Amino acid sequence: MDERLIEFSNLLRQNGVRVSVAEDLDSLAAVRVLGLRNREALKSGLRATMVKRAVDVPVFDELFDLYFSGVQQLLKAAEERSQEATGLDPAEFQRLLEKLEKLLAEQGKDLSDLAKEWLRNDNARIEQRVREALEQARVGEFERPSQEGQFTHGMASAFGLADVLRQIEEFRDLLGALGLDPETAERLQRYLESRLRDLAQLMKQVVRQELEKRDLTRRESQRLEALSEKSFFYLSEDEIRRMKEAVTKLAQRLKNVIAIKRKRAKRGKFDVKDTFRKNLQYGGVPFRIQFDDKRKDKPQIVILCDVSDSVRNVSRFMLQFVYSLQDLYSRVRSFIFVGDTGEITRLFEENDIHDAIELALRSDIINVFAHSDFGRAFKMFHRDYITAVNKRTTVIVLGDARNNYNLPNEWTLRDIRLRAKQLIWLNPESKMTWGFGDSEMERYRPYCDVVEECRNLNQLYRVIDRLVAQ
Amino acid sequence: MFQSIDEVIERFGEQNYVCSRAIATVVYLSIHLKKPILVEGPAGVGKTELAKVLAATLGHKLLRLQCYEGLDEAKALYEWEYAKQMLYTQILKDKIGETLRGATTLKEAVERISAEEDVFFSDRFILSRPLLEAITSDRPSVLLIDEIDKSDPEFEAFLLEVLSDFQVSVPELGTIRAKHIPGVVLTSNNAREMSDALKRRCLHLYIDFPPLEQELRIVRLKVPGIQQELAEEVVAAVQAVRKLDLKKLPSISETLDWARALLLLNVQSLEEPLVQETLSTILKYEGDIRKGQDELRDFVAKQKAKAKTKTPPAEADEELLH
Repeated sequence: MDERLIEFSNLLRQNGVRVSVAEDLDSLAAVRVLGLRNREALKSGLRATMVKRAVDVPVFDELFDLYFSGVQQLLKAAEERSQEATGLDPAEFQRLLEKLEKLLAEQGKDLSDLAKEWLRNDNARIEQRVREALEQARVGEFERPSQEGQFTHGMASAFGLADVLRQIEEFRDLLGALGLDPETAERLQRYLESRLRDLAQLMKQVVRQELEKRDLTRRESQRLEALSEKSFFYLSEDEIRRMKEAVTKLAQRLKNVIAIKRKRAKRGKFDVKDTFRKNLQYGGVPFRIQFDDKRKDKPQIVILCDVSDSVRNVSRFMLQFVYSLQDLYSRVRSFIFVGDTGEITRLFEENDIHDAIELALRSDIINVFAHSDFGRAFKMFHRDYITAVNKRTTVIVLGDARNNYNLPNEWTLRDIRLRAKQLIWLNPESKMTWGFGDSEMERYRPYCDVVEECRNLNQLYRVIDRLVAQ
Repeated sequence: MFQSIDEVIERFGEQNYVCSRAIATVVYLSIHLKKPILVEGPAGVGKTELAKVLAATLGHKLLRLQCYEGLDEAKALYEWEYAKQMLYTQILKDKIGETLRGATTLKEAVERISAEEDVFFSDRFILSRPLLEAITSDRPSVLLIDEIDKSDPEFEAFLLEVLSDFQVSVPELGTIRAKHIPGVVLTSNNAREMSDALKRRCLHLYIDFPPLEQELRIVRLKVPGIQQELAEEVVAAVQAVRKLDLKKLPSISETLDWARALLLLNVQSLEEPLVQETLSTILKYEGDIRKGQDELRDFVAKQKAKAKTKTPPAEADEELLH
């Protein structure tokens, strides 16, 4: 059993579940405590010791079923098919098998053990032999689907398939010549035919199953890849969920920055006045040192999102980001701009994500069909909403900085930066094009703490990772 | 000690805790492997309750450590009571003077004082917090570390040391080893991902919202006197609401609140105006309530339709004849 568990944990690793050696040992200990009788308990036990992330649970469940009962299921199915082939009900089928058993004892001296086991439906023994064959054929080294044929071949020869098939065929002919009563003979023939067919199929099925086990990851990662690189015209539930995850990560980063800052403040500031006052009760002996009050800062975010025509194809994505951010934090103020700037905080609070984005992109708040003019928009923000920015605020600008050769008004951005804690600019355009044509990115860049390219979820993830790594 | 998984289910049942086989298996394993359980899942599915019930069934003391941002060793492990120590020194000034009497040199005085060091640095002046208490306790205990995801990463790293060896070092006193290894339950709402190192040391248990039958059993158990039909309707309604995209999904405790409220109002079955009026017991955000109202209007209508088809039309005809 130990080897099988190790193999199973290897399989989990191949499928992207992180299982450490310590967890392998735990799972072995768990199996020793739980025993092997109860399948459900085994499953929960292994899940508790090997899988530590909720997202990995479905992968584990699927693999567990495949691994611990995959072959058995194939064998059961084959048994059922052979019963169907005889056209008998279970009780009669059992009697037929008993007759067969007698015949095997009398006539089956040329049959190998394996052939007998197969004819008896001895599924436990067969499964063991299948496993041995899998090992011999090194199916564990499966890498590409194109190897399927090769491994099926290897399995068949390791299993001794050709011999077994030949022996059973001979046995069938032998029975045919024996002169049993016609009905029994007929049914036996049909049974043997079915067993022969299934045995030939079994190798292929087992190898296919191995392929499936190893293929789970690839399928999964392909799916995620497709999702991340997809443009954001359509938002599915899953995408929204992943967006929320990404935003949570970003939020954590903002929080950490504050925590570190606070710690430094705590270390540095010794409060003389307060220390004297507190220690009066001990006769002025200063053994209770007072530090400055640690103030708890809640992250405040002001987010400015460009919704002009030039970023039309990503503005949904960016608004989704804005929405998730606002959903998570109480102190977020959101603005959209093209030529004018308008606040959408209330709008996002009151509507669900799909409606909110639709409403924001209609030109009720600002004229979204105008030509984008960052200079003017920043100036308007500076005039009307600058009070939203204070030294605890993180300002995030989402936009391509394509200004249609209007006045860039960098001083507004500088002023915003001076008032804010930090300024992050996420640009949906490729880095290569920054500063070319009417792009004013280079002019705005000096006033930003971070400038990153960000067009889809994957890039957003990467940006956040980089921010976290700093 | 539990002898089998079934015993866990049964004895938890005695404490009014309906637990699935998966939960019972993990609890059973944690007892036998002496490993902490890390419980994750949405709020209000009974994560904290699990620890309480575990302590109650085992007859152990429950020590609870609520985590929050800024929680540090001093609050979790122990604090040195300088004030008390100082006070003692002040009061015992004369005694100290006696000890020092006759000492001719400063060196001798220091020698004498340091010979008495044990008095000053003893567990008398230590204020134990839950972690130290769990380790030094004479009786076995269950340690609940609640909402570990709210704590800082540094605290998590510190916790690792305690959880792997069940020993702590107090500089003033030396290393303290656990007399009994406590049962440990950590709960997390997944506000942040826990470190792999911590996860590796724990058995992982994910508790999700329970399926319909299980939640029904919980309602029947925790709200005595509720009619089967009402309980069924309430649970079915909550389960339907959970399928919506809400800011906060209603938890089990909110289902119970709602059932209790309806029971208090003497309701027999879910009716239109009443549902809308009591909806605030399960939904806590304005937007959620609006979504929930629409969903439940359909739900109640469907229930009515179902009820109608149930009563055979023949009976209604008979009534008309009378």
